Amino acid sequence: MKYALFPGCVLRGAASEAFLATVKVTEALGIDLVEIPSWTCCGASHLQDVDDLTALAVNARNLAIAESMGLPIMTVCNTCTLQLRRAKESLDTDPALKAKINAILAKSGYEYKGTAEVTHLLWVLASNPQLLEGKVVKPLTGLKAAGFYGCHLLRPPTIMNYEDSLNPQSLEKIIRLLGAEPVNFDFKLKCCGFHAFWTAEKDVMKVTGQTVDSAAKAGAEVVVTPCPLCQLQLDMYQPEGRTAIQTSAELPILHLPQLIGLALGMSKDDLGVKRHISAADKVRS
Amino acid sequence: MPITLKIQRSLEGKQWTQDYSLELEKGMTVLSALIKIKETLDPTLSFTASCRSGICGACAVRVNGNAVLACETPLGDLVKRYQSETLTIAPLANFVVLRDLIVDWKPKYTNLKKIKPALQPKDEFSAAAGCKQSPADFKKYQKNSECILCGSCVSECSKSTANSNDFLEPFVFAKAQKFVADSRDKDVLAHLDPAVKEGLWKCFNCQQCAAKCPKGLNPAEDIEKLRIMTFKKKMSSNAGSDHAQAFYDDIRDTGRLDETKLGFKTEGVKSALRVPFAYRLMKTGKLAPFEKTEVIPEIEKVRTILSAAKEVK
Repeated sequence: MKYALFPGCVLRGAASEAFLATVKVTEALGIDLVEIPSWTCCGASHLQDVDDLTALAVNARNLAIAESMGLPIMTVCNTCTLQLRRAKESLDTDPALKAKINAILAKSGYEYKGTAEVTHLLWVLASNPQLLEGKVVKPLTGLKAAGFYGCHLLRPPTIMNYEDSLNPQSLEKIIRLLGAEPVNFDFKLKCCGFHAFWTAEKDVMKVTGQTVDSAAKAGAEVVVTPCPLCQLQLDMYQPEGRTAIQTSAELPILHLPQLIGLALGMSKDDLGVKRHISAADKVRS
Repeated sequence: MPITLKIQRSLEGKQWTQDYSLELEKGMTVLSALIKIKETLDPTLSFTASCRSGICGACAVRVNGNAVLACETPLGDLVKRYQSETLTIAPLANFVVLRDLIVDWKPKYTNLKKIKPALQPKDEFSAAAGCKQSPADFKKYQKNSECILCGSCVSECSKSTANSNDFLEPFVFAKAQKFVADSRDKDVLAHLDPAVKEGLWKCFNCQQCAAKCPKGLNPAEDIEKLRIMTFKKKMSSNAGSDHAQAFYDDIRDTGRLDETKLGFKTEGVKSALRVPFAYRLMKTGKLAPFEKTEVIPEIEKVRTILSAAKEVK
């Protein structure tokens, strides 16, 4: 199983532990990842606010490079997944737009064909549970894990159509395969607020606090998310979130590949958990 | 198959949940179940509905926390989706509830009026000459004309849920974009300016509105289009637009986001107040303020693409 990896900026920066964990876990599971050379930022759901055609062209270029590698694309960030899939959807359903974008790309020698699918680590694992068979050497027995999906892996459902956006099951499926117990909580499918941090900070801190509080009240010992941006928001700003809603709830927030890594027998340090801000010491070693 | 509908009820300040058991009939919709309850089990249950054809927008309610148009949502599909014969029905969220499933639209209309939801025809048009536009121009806002004002888009809107005092409803932004995109309208700013003042840059980008619209409108995308228009109209910048511009500039300069400068590019000198937070991140190695962002090898090709995209405009 081989994919062209689109890491996205955050895995090369603030969430570099997610990059580390992704590389180690995919290697252990026999998933071959080749990083897309010279990839650019996907625009992170902000670039299109300046210019939609530029956002489309930039992602068409990312997709075109992966196409030339002859591989499907795997991402580990919800927002990157949405931006790439959205670009692909726009180009594949509108021949005139595709021609317009290809005229732009041609100036740099690229061509978008539409041959590479875009998927996410969570979807690959949920569709291929056999990859985990025999690999879970340290099952997370008894661990209550709250799966926080993050908006951009579910919505809009016309583009993010891997599973039912109102009742997704992929994350719970992986949590169970690792031996842990999925916890249902009210904020499971809600928004972490990351993308509005700079413009609606007070409101964002409130939802950050509510999300962690909701998971804690449902009995979770850990929150796990397939999105590094949700992880950053819920981890980095947990102290402000607590203040915003006057709660004492404090939980570790793990990247999906970190939780998998723990069940594969890797150590907390191997998976970069010590880089986290909130309750890293509460993560089982 | 017997099913139970747990309906959130309210009357004169009193709230309760009432269970109704009924047989799931073939082809039964949420609305036909509500009508059946009212006709056979409880005449006091109150809800609004009219056309029963997904046109009037009167019957939107929440099922298991998600807005649906009751008349076009088969109950059997929901039983299958949630793998449960018990479903909860509640009034739309982010509305004032008048009684049971009936919500108050008056405050929403007040907000709708803020963006001047009417065509401001260009001076070249007259009653005699008409008000023509090409099919291509009509297409630019055609989808936005299909909004039926059902309120589904605001029910689970993350920003409205957190705080609706400084944010218009998604359908209001969609309506503003309808007129901004209409080639016959002479006053873009009449619609755009109030949208900016009432939270255009505060959207959480959660995509709930796009997911919930029963007519396939995409208010989240309309918000993006309105934001683009603020750049085109050279409206004064703010943290939201500066943040978006930072991504454009970083892609042009290095190909990738420069996290270390993002705060300053977004907030200017105000970002200095965030030093304690930055220190929190530096302690665990999450932020490396002196690390230089790597320039991707093909940066010149990326710059060529950015220039070409600009020229196409």
